[in-house]
Amino acid sequence: MKISAPLTTFVLLMSSVPLAFAQQEQAQISPSQEDVPSGPDAASSGGQPADGQEPASERAESTSSNDAPRPPAPVREVGADWPYYGGDADATRYSPLDQITTANVTALERAFEYRTGDMPSPSAEGKYAPETTPLKLGDDLLMCSAKNILISIDAATGEENWRFDPGVPDEAIPYSASCRGVSVYTDPGAAEDEVCATRVIEGTLDAKLIALDAATGTPCEGFGENGTVDLWQDIGERVPGWYAITAPPAVVRGVIVSGAQVKDGQAEDAPSGVVRGFDAITGELEWAWDLAAVEANRNGPAEGEVYTRGTPNMWTTAVIDEELGYVYLPMGNSSVDYYGSNRSEAENEFATSLVALDATTGDEVWHFQTVRHDVWDYDLGSQPTLIDYQGTPAIILPSKQGDIYILDRRTGEPMTPVEQLTDLPRGQIEPDFISPTQPASAWHTLRKEPLEPKDAWGFTPIDQLWCRIQFHRANYDGFFTPPSSERPWIQYPGYNGGSDWGSVAVDPVNGLLIANYNDVPNYNRLVPRAEADERGLVPIHQQRSGAEAGENAEGAGDPQTGSPYAIDVNAGWRSALTDMPCVRPPYGGIRAVDLETGETVWDRPLGTARRNGPFGIPSYLPFNIGTPNNGGSVVTAGGIVFIAAATDNLFRAIDIETGETIWQDVLPAGGQANPITYEVGGRQYVMIAATGHHFMETGVGDWMIAYALPE
Amino acid sequence: MTKTTAPSRRTPWPILAVAVFCIVLAVPLIAGGVWLIALGGSWYYALAGLGLLITGFLLFRGSETALWVYLATWLGTLIWAWWEVGADWWAQLPRMLAPTLILLFVLLSAQFLKSHDA
Repeated sequence: MKISAPLTTFVLLMSSVPLAFAQQEQAQISPSQEDVPSGPDAASSGGQPADGQEPASERAESTSSNDAPRPPAPVREVGADWPYYGGDADATRYSPLDQITTANVTALERAFEYRTGDMPSPSAEGKYAPETTPLKLGDDLLMCSAKNILISIDAATGEENWRFDPGVPDEAIPYSASCRGVSVYTDPGAAEDEVCATRVIEGTLDAKLIALDAATGTPCEGFGENGTVDLWQDIGERVPGWYAITAPPAVVRGVIVSGAQVKDGQAEDAPSGVVRGFDAITGELEWAWDLAAVEANRNGPAEGEVYTRGTPNMWTTAVIDEELGYVYLPMGNSSVDYYGSNRSEAENEFATSLVALDATTGDEVWHFQTVRHDVWDYDLGSQPTLIDYQGTPAIILPSKQGDIYILDRRTGEPMTPVEQLTDLPRGQIEPDFISPTQPASAWHTLRKEPLEPKDAWGFTPIDQLWCRIQFHRANYDGFFTPPSSERPWIQYPGYNGGSDWGSVAVDPVNGLLIANYNDVPNYNRLVPRAEADERGLVPIHQQRSGAEAGENAEGAGDPQTGSPYAIDVNAGWRSALTDMPCVRPPYGGIRAVDLETGETVWDRPLGTARRNGPFGIPSYLPFNIGTPNNGGSVVTAGGIVFIAAATDNLFRAIDIETGETIWQDVLPAGGQANPITYEVGGRQYVMIAATGHHFMETGVGDWMIAYALPE
Repeated sequence: MTKTTAPSRRTPWPILAVAVFCIVLAVPLIAGGVWLIALGGSWYYALAGLGLLITGFLLFRGSETALWVYLATWLGTLIWAWWEVGADWWAQLPRMLAPTLILLFVLLSAQFLKSHDA
């Protein structure tokens, strides 16, 4: 999304008081701390262990296919290395490195730049969003490019050690060519210098798991077929681009756990959301968790069958727990996001939930649902973070609605207050399906007050008036306004969050949670089937090959075949007149939250207006307007939050105590990725991908840029 | 600014330009503003549009009253804008920037109005 800014500082007569927001209580939602009476719609409120399933007994039945129990693997330390996507195994995105401090950060300079060479071919133009975060292990940085080229470079010089191109075709690009990261696994039984003793594992856009020797890039022969496992197996008809992996797989106790992105909104009869565990050495299927056929498909579907179609999937990054042997899966919604009446009970139970699985058996231990009967595409997009919370092993779960939950990770029980929103509007489309109640975090939410007509924005009174008319033409009853078709409806927050895949960072020393977030509505409308047919909206498997696809924002004319409605999403609710957002800024921010109290320590708009303006013209204004952002932060013991993420293509260092930006650098393309920090030879480096993002309109690039203090 | 010479009965061109500008902006404001009222929304836009339209017509006729009508419109805008969003700088942008620019144009055209009336 591109946002805009004034072309002048001209507005005189206004005092220079900074942003202040009218705060008004929302009328439609009456929060209460009490539990709602359980009914069909309230059945799966947060925090209940899977009903009737005693984890222990389930586990006992199911271990038949596995031999010896898998012991916890040693966990790698973050510091000199950045061994996991989220920094440490707990995904705190915190580094104990403190060479770069708030005092010397202004001296940061580029130590080296590395270019992956992976740029879009003409047919992939406008589909690149690499979102790359490398790992740093020993002397090497390990990363994947937009189209899954696995690369190892020297962490001090940027010199390439090796690369491996799995040859992913352009047609496999789902919505974006993204590869957020890779994982590593060390075989405890192998000698250190053995090939593939330590292996890099990535999931590809064409749904393969690939394992390579971390030192040389040689495929691990013993893993699947020549180092490759095909995840299309038992998914069904192979439709390139429908089923793709964009997140680093989780590896727990020697089991690789992967879900996949299922391109949204195509059809109810879509690839399954099954999550599978594979042996990290052999690539053999250890278990499958098909939420709609748990027992039947535990070891894969019967001959000629496929995993249950159209079920909620996990496209983002899971977090591992070696000690408990669990993997925590942030689940998305069912394949058809905006209509739900014909979803199965199992889908309703698990959609948009955090699910804890025993990673060695695939047994569900508990799940916590953040949206009941989700018809808003409120997939859980953030990687959760493990912390020790008041002496209890806990997990932090941020959501796209902006709610931040802290759960006991052994049981899924909330440790912070969860409120129940009641008497929510149920709409005309499927009032029996829409839940009148929803959970929300009473501990902390990134969500702002509901929109009002006066929030309509523009550059002049005329385009503001246009947006204001659109506001009144739409259905809007605040948070969780249900979908409608006769009139558009406003969804706020939109599907970009709140918190998306950039996730949150936690500074355990200062007890702070750092969350960047979007603050952007979507303007949506359900399109009746006849109208959708007239417009020629067809799902991906019926499109002529080479037909246009992917350039649209997600949901802008998705067919949702099998449901009575297609969906039109105007992501960011942009004005048809100017392409500017129809609501006032800020569109994104970053805040620090006190982990003890859940209170905001500081909160600031994130992103300047320099690259934004009406009609797509950059304004070059340095004002911190607060832009949409994608990608997360790193927190260091030097007291710094490093983050790019915003659409201004700046990489910045923020003082964690005040929220003030104390250093910044202009990137050659958008930094929609999570940065990392590491150390080689006593020198601390900070690295960010400057690779752009088609949806965020931040250009395209292939730069990996490392910063350090002058030697 | 060029100096107007002819004390003819015709309205000088800078005033005509501002007049046309006001009317061109007034039409969508009134049309959209009436639509917004019909939808149950704010009355501001239609009223502001009306003020702008009257300003335009008065300017056409070379009447100094245009100045006062627009000043009233602008002051009304100011009061409304502060009532709605107060010191929210970004929210003031669509509300005050363009109307204030128009105010400047109208004020600048005042000298021509005066010379014309004289």
